[in-house]
Amino acid sequence: MISHEAMHLAESLAHYALIVMALVYILRIRWFLGFVAGKERQAPTGAADTNPKRGSNYSLAIIAMPWVMESTRTKPFLYLQFVLFHLGVVAGITLSFTIPFAAEFTALPIVQIIFKSLIGAAFVVGVIRIIRRIGNIYMRAISTPDDHFALWLLTAWFGFAYFAVSMDGGMAQYIYFWMTMFFLLYVPFSKISHYLYYPFTRHYFGKSMGRRGVYPIRRGPAAS
Amino acid sequence: MSSNSNGKQRSHKAEMLLERFGKKLNRQVAGSLVACVHCGLCTDSCHYVQTNPGDVTYAPAYKADRLRKIFKRHHDWTGRVFPWWVGAKSVFTDEDLEELKDISFGKCTNCRRCTINCPMGVDFATFNRMLRGMLVSVGVMPEGVAVVSKDQWEIGNQMGVLKEDYIDTIEWMSEEMQIELDDETAVIPIDKENADVVYSINPREVKYDPRTISDAAKIFHLAGENWTMPSEGWDMTNFGLFSGDDDLGGAVSGMLYDKVVELKGKKLVISECGHGYRSTRCEGPNWAKRDVPFEMESSVITMLRFIKEGRIKVDKSRNPEPITFHDSCNNARSCGLFEEPRELLNLVCEDFREMYPNRVEGYCCTGGGGAMSMSEYSGRRLKSAKVKADQLKATGAKIVATSCHNCVDGLSDCIKHYDVGMEVTQLVNLVANALIIPEKPVIVPVEKEAEKVVAEAAKLAGKRVLIVDDEPDILTFFSTVLEDNGAEILTATDGEEAVQIAIKEHIDLVTLDINMPGKDGGWVFEKLRTTKETQTIPICIISGKPELRRLIYERSVPAPDGYLDKPVDEDMLLRNVRKIIELAERGELASISTS
Repeated sequence: MISHEAMHLAESLAHYALIVMALVYILRIRWFLGFVAGKERQAPTGAADTNPKRGSNYSLAIIAMPWVMESTRTKPFLYLQFVLFHLGVVAGITLSFTIPFAAEFTALPIVQIIFKSLIGAAFVVGVIRIIRRIGNIYMRAISTPDDHFALWLLTAWFGFAYFAVSMDGGMAQYIYFWMTMFFLLYVPFSKISHYLYYPFTRHYFGKSMGRRGVYPIRRGPAAS
Repeated sequence: MSSNSNGKQRSHKAEMLLERFGKKLNRQVAGSLVACVHCGLCTDSCHYVQTNPGDVTYAPAYKADRLRKIFKRHHDWTGRVFPWWVGAKSVFTDEDLEELKDISFGKCTNCRRCTINCPMGVDFATFNRMLRGMLVSVGVMPEGVAVVSKDQWEIGNQMGVLKEDYIDTIEWMSEEMQIELDDETAVIPIDKENADVVYSINPREVKYDPRTISDAAKIFHLAGENWTMPSEGWDMTNFGLFSGDDDLGGAVSGMLYDKVVELKGKKLVISECGHGYRSTRCEGPNWAKRDVPFEMESSVITMLRFIKEGRIKVDKSRNPEPITFHDSCNNARSCGLFEEPRELLNLVCEDFREMYPNRVEGYCCTGGGGAMSMSEYSGRRLKSAKVKADQLKATGAKIVATSCHNCVDGLSDCIKHYDVGMEVTQLVNLVANALIIPEKPVIVPVEKEAEKVVAEAAKLAGKRVLIVDDEPDILTFFSTVLEDNGAEILTATDGEEAVQIAIKEHIDLVTLDINMPGKDGGWVFEKLRTTKETQTIPICIISGKPELRRLIYERSVPAPDGYLDKPVDEDMLLRNVRKIIELAERGELASISTS
């Protein structure tokens, strides 16, 4: 068993790291907004029921519509991995709050099952993704050390988070909090911060495609 | 040479490129550069990847990373502090720039298929175009890009068509229309003020496919449209889209906008061309940094409206063969123009069949992004065209229609290379073919018709035509058609023989194939143009290999007097041969006046 003080320190540091992460994110967004947005002068084209606003909304929601893009429609297993992995991240971060601030809630059997299922599934996906990133020639060619490290880090974090759910105050839980702290400090400087840019890229692209009548995407009848 | 903080030498061009990069970055591009998570979902969407399995250098994310690395190294502090960790890398040598050229021009057609399949909304095609523009700004580009850009800067259109040739072709097509419709009022108005429609075209139509001009004119005339064609600034294509040169893009689109304003035109109708439509309709106002005070639309929408409003009548039984449609990437994926052509096809064709995938998910014809002008990458282009060839074959159609001149060339190459056995056409040709021409109240006496036939035949009577082609079937076909119309025929099956005959004999016209064993058509063409005895002989190129055009047009001798794509039918052959001979007799051929 880890001492109560040591565990408390790990928990506190993880939450301070969250504040640091938020501050770095503010700086990153400020840096990003320093680039002047290109102006679109063209008159709208395409179908009458499309427009920049609708295009932007559609674009932002596209990640929840796997049937829209060929890349997600034809690779349902990869899409499922994406969903499970990101649900695992949400569960892992939520756990870092529920353990110190809502211990009784976290100890409920149903809550434990939910946490363990989500985080456990994300761990399995993490392993699959590691294999794909190393084994697939295309993935290997486009991967940076940051890509590899971020994936290993998250997968290991899922592993410790899985055991931390059981609330035994043991080594797994202790490492989980230290890893959470490191993870939160590392995220703003790594590719993991992609979700910070997602709203911007999808908004601008969707706005443009909405103006041009491409979004929402219309697909013809399926091939027989 | 200059050196960076690590003491590593950087070439002047590399230095200039980095400086240019900083100036061109905007938020949309920066977002695309910073947001990629290297998930690899875009990989399979690229036709180059599908046809080069295992070659990672074709993967969209890999290609995109060539610029992303530079961005990280110079504009993102994580790359400045930990370059190795995040894959940041700068450029130093001219060889580095050559590698970027190879990737951005030679391994991507900017079709945007990977973009539309990216979960993060990374617009690779847009920043690949930006990369092209940066390279062009420091003089690193394929030779074809330099040549075409120069023509568009200096002459105002990307094929270097001179004003007199353009006007001459319009007048020729006007005459053709008058004859066909037997209507003296059927003319193509040039520079008419206050027209409801100003019609802009692709220089390829003037140079290689004037039939599309006469077909469009016929449709406008029968619809009773108040229309005109401008004498200048008529090119709606824009090589700035392909070269990434926004200045060129703005200048070219600006010329067209200025002309419409000068003519007080109400609407600019853009003939069928994917990149032309996108450049003029969508990107042009951004490049030219101006708001356009008139409407712009694709001729596909115009033709559809004419039919819906009952201004022209069509009979779909005139296009009975199974037809499929190829979506131009610029029209469909970048401008949302995909339902209108289908609606139109269903109105003018009996058997329209979809190709799969289609609309925004369609595959590039492989001639996009200026690829047709970059002959050094033809091998890669044709290899990647396998995807399109398979798509075409699966439809079982005999004809593929498209709304883009680049696609016509790209598909023609693809069809020939993979022996698909299809014909390529444009919607304007199909609509014109389906037109129901109102019967005239006055019945032309049979004698008058016969007189007309005799008069047409008389144009070739006694004329000596030298047919140069290595294919016996072509020689027989052309000889028979022209002899039946009064011409005297001489033939040659190789280049040297052709030149000898042309020098010895009195020849009124040479029809010349490009691809022949031994001395090819390009050699013959230059020889004829530079030999004293033969330099005034009109030459009409008739070739089945559009990719070999550069063998003719890149020579520093006057351009040929005609150009026809094989297969050529009897009418087309006769019409062109007669016209060239007629113009030669009147001393109005540009080549002769400039030689």
